[in-house]
Amino acid sequence: MKLLVCVSKTPETTTKIQLTADGTEIDTAGVQYIMNPYDEWYALVRALELKEAAGGTVTILNVGPADNDSVIRKGLAIGADDAVRIDVSEEKDSLYTARQIAEYAKSEQYDLLFFGKETISYNGSEVGAMVAEFLDLPYVGEASHLEIDGTKATVTRDIEGGEEVIEVQTPLAVSAAKGMAEQRIPNMRGIMMAKRKPLTVVAPVDYPDTTRIAEYEKPEEKGSVKLIDPDNMEELVRLLHEEAKVI
Amino acid sequence: MQFISLRNLRFMLHEVLDLSELRNSERFKDFDQEAIDFSLDAAQQLADQYLWPVYREMDRNKAYFKDGEVHVLPAVGEGMRALGESGWLSAAWGFEHQGQQMPLTVHNAGSLIFQAANGNLAAYGFLTTGAANLIREFGSEELKQTYLQKMASGRWQGTMALTEPQAGSSLSDITTYYEPQADGTYLIYGQKIYISGGDHNSVENVVHLLLARQKDGPKGVRGVSLFVVPKHLPGPDGLTDNNVTTAGIYGKMGQRGYVAAHLMYGEQGPTRGFLVGEEFNGLKNMFLMMNEARIGTGMMATGSASAAYYASLTYARERPQGRHPGNKDINAPQVRIIEHADVRRMLLFQKAVVEGSIALLLQCSLYEDTYRVTQDDRSRLLLELLTPIAKSFPSEYGNEAVSLGMQVLGGAGYTDDFPLEQIFRDIRVNSIYEGTTTIHGLDLLGRKVMMEEGKAVQFLATEMQQEINNAEQTEATREIAAALALGMESMQQVLGTLLQLAQRDDPRVFLADATVFLDYFGLHVIGWMWLKQANAAVRALPNAEGDDETAFYQSKIQTARYFFTYVFARTAGLRRTLLAETRITLNTDEAWLL
Repeated sequence: MKLLVCVSKTPETTTKIQLTADGTEIDTAGVQYIMNPYDEWYALVRALELKEAAGGTVTILNVGPADNDSVIRKGLAIGADDAVRIDVSEEKDSLYTARQIAEYAKSEQYDLLFFGKETISYNGSEVGAMVAEFLDLPYVGEASHLEIDGTKATVTRDIEGGEEVIEVQTPLAVSAAKGMAEQRIPNMRGIMMAKRKPLTVVAPVDYPDTTRIAEYEKPEEKGSVKLIDPDNMEELVRLLHEEAKVI
Repeated sequence: MQFISLRNLRFMLHEVLDLSELRNSERFKDFDQEAIDFSLDAAQQLADQYLWPVYREMDRNKAYFKDGEVHVLPAVGEGMRALGESGWLSAAWGFEHQGQQMPLTVHNAGSLIFQAANGNLAAYGFLTTGAANLIREFGSEELKQTYLQKMASGRWQGTMALTEPQAGSSLSDITTYYEPQADGTYLIYGQKIYISGGDHNSVENVVHLLLARQKDGPKGVRGVSLFVVPKHLPGPDGLTDNNVTTAGIYGKMGQRGYVAAHLMYGEQGPTRGFLVGEEFNGLKNMFLMMNEARIGTGMMATGSASAAYYASLTYARERPQGRHPGNKDINAPQVRIIEHADVRRMLLFQKAVVEGSIALLLQCSLYEDTYRVTQDDRSRLLLELLTPIAKSFPSEYGNEAVSLGMQVLGGAGYTDDFPLEQIFRDIRVNSIYEGTTTIHGLDLLGRKVMMEEGKAVQFLATEMQQEINNAEQTEATREIAAALALGMESMQQVLGTLLQLAQRDDPRVFLADATVFLDYFGLHVIGWMWLKQANAAVRALPNAEGDDETAFYQSKIQTARYFFTYVFARTAGLRRTLLAETRITLNTDEAWLL
């Protein structure tokens, strides 16, 4: 089986996000990046499980700058065989990213293309479906379970009040949600092997970037909490009336 | 829940310590910054998943002995196997032993993460690696083939079986003995007490690295040899009983999930042992593990103090209580306790102890790595000189740090709603493990400051002076550099006086205040570590990216200032005691201790 896992990077989850002065970009100074957890924990690990069960190869693909190599090599440390980075230095929209992936993947004859169900940075979830469309492949989003039997894939999705089980022929694209696999911690051998595995850098194809971020806005900061002594109900009433103005 | 700062470990490995000599060596060349960061991330993930979640549980469901079996939580075995299967237990071994040739400096940084998450569980693994290291270093090929990979997998526990009822600190008095057999094995007879990890049902086998003396052989250290004594003998048909009997386990103040067993050998049938290294070299060989274990004990104490620091820091950031002095307005909202100066003093003390200890432990690890690749005297001697400090400073000051951590929480800290009370109980034993603080004081003053004509102290003075020179160039560190420089001058005077005493008086007089000297010397060493960190922070600050990074470096400089003002200042009093020559302790009549 030939498996492709498309991964993106996202700020480490405890990062305090700051915006640039004009509010059109995230200030990346001092930001630590990790692999998007849905890509790593579920998409990549399920791909590795399928390879371990039936043989084949797992390739990681990322569209981004050279800074992303460290994030990519984490995937190699977890167990992917090789990696490809489509060398794009600036932040681009989902359609552009999807086009680049599709252009690379179209000649590679992958049996399965994996994506995380969404990025936890921008909550984006379009790229997988767009790639499938470009490649004219079936697409199942937010899959919580995936089994392969020959060329038949059985995919389970969590839906409101139950589950939906879909049967579909490979090749296909699938986006992975919680339940698809268990997070793997890279072992020491994997970490040291990662630097010896191939990471190929390819040039992007020309394609227009069709959207532009006009502005980001951060939610208002939460106010501080005031603790009122339970015996001091009068003070509570006063604050609700005078400060919170809810009574 | 945070229990250690990964950012601080990265700072130490990438910005404070110079690993370039290691990277230029054939053995460690693959450990670039990325490999180190991946390794630390993996350690953090293992700690988050397998160790921290069961820290409190291991205390509440302590190990127990029933029907001849020691029961521990299944989580112990799961954690051990996770550490083994991830390759951590054998990561520092060479490729020839299926290791990854990880520098000890990196390995110990990872171990600090495990120790902070759950020292009770991490210790099972740490002991196993230490025991396996003895087999790897001194064992026959057959012993290596039989034991190493099983121990590295975390499925077999390793121990160091030294202490006996009549022989604790004084190992030359052990009475457990051996008799050679025609097949080349040895029968072992005797008993061992306080054997950490000595028996439990979460592993398939327990492998004791045991000291015993030749039956009717010479007394003292000369007759002592080192053996592998497995609980179950490995053979072609699997494991068979080797008559290592557990008499019971000890009820302990802390570390209740970490078994300490009383074991008997040869009581219920023949117990077979296998010689490790040359006969009669037992104690010398065992010192390899004991020196590792001393650094390991320092790490265990540091890990506990780190967990306590972050628990109290979290609480201090959230808990509103009282108002600033001078604010008499009862209607004004209460401030969080972190805003009170004295709470900050207690937090800074903890931070100074934790990060100062981490710096020293990793510095010692770097000396060990450097010695491995260069065989230089400087690294060897500095490691030997600093090992007593690396063991005793985190243990003694860690106790104080955790106590202050509990103080930050007030009454809440004394309850079991928070982890402080457990950490307080857990950390206490570290100043007893692997040679009490007294033993390390005697080792430092009685042996190490004078070894090889005081060469180690001279090397240390050169290192410290270099850091002082660097610091004098900058306004931010000039003052603390001056404090350390003054301290070094005083140290010379103290050492001069003590060494004169050694020449003209009974060793009892010279060594009477060895523990005080250990404290005095240790504060200088940690002062040097803080100056080194402050210098690195000063270098990095102009290029810091973002508010968090700027705050990180500023915190280093400020904590260094704190250390010198509040902690290093204690050296003045200790110096007075050391120079007093009042012989108070020796001249105290036993009858007066009533």
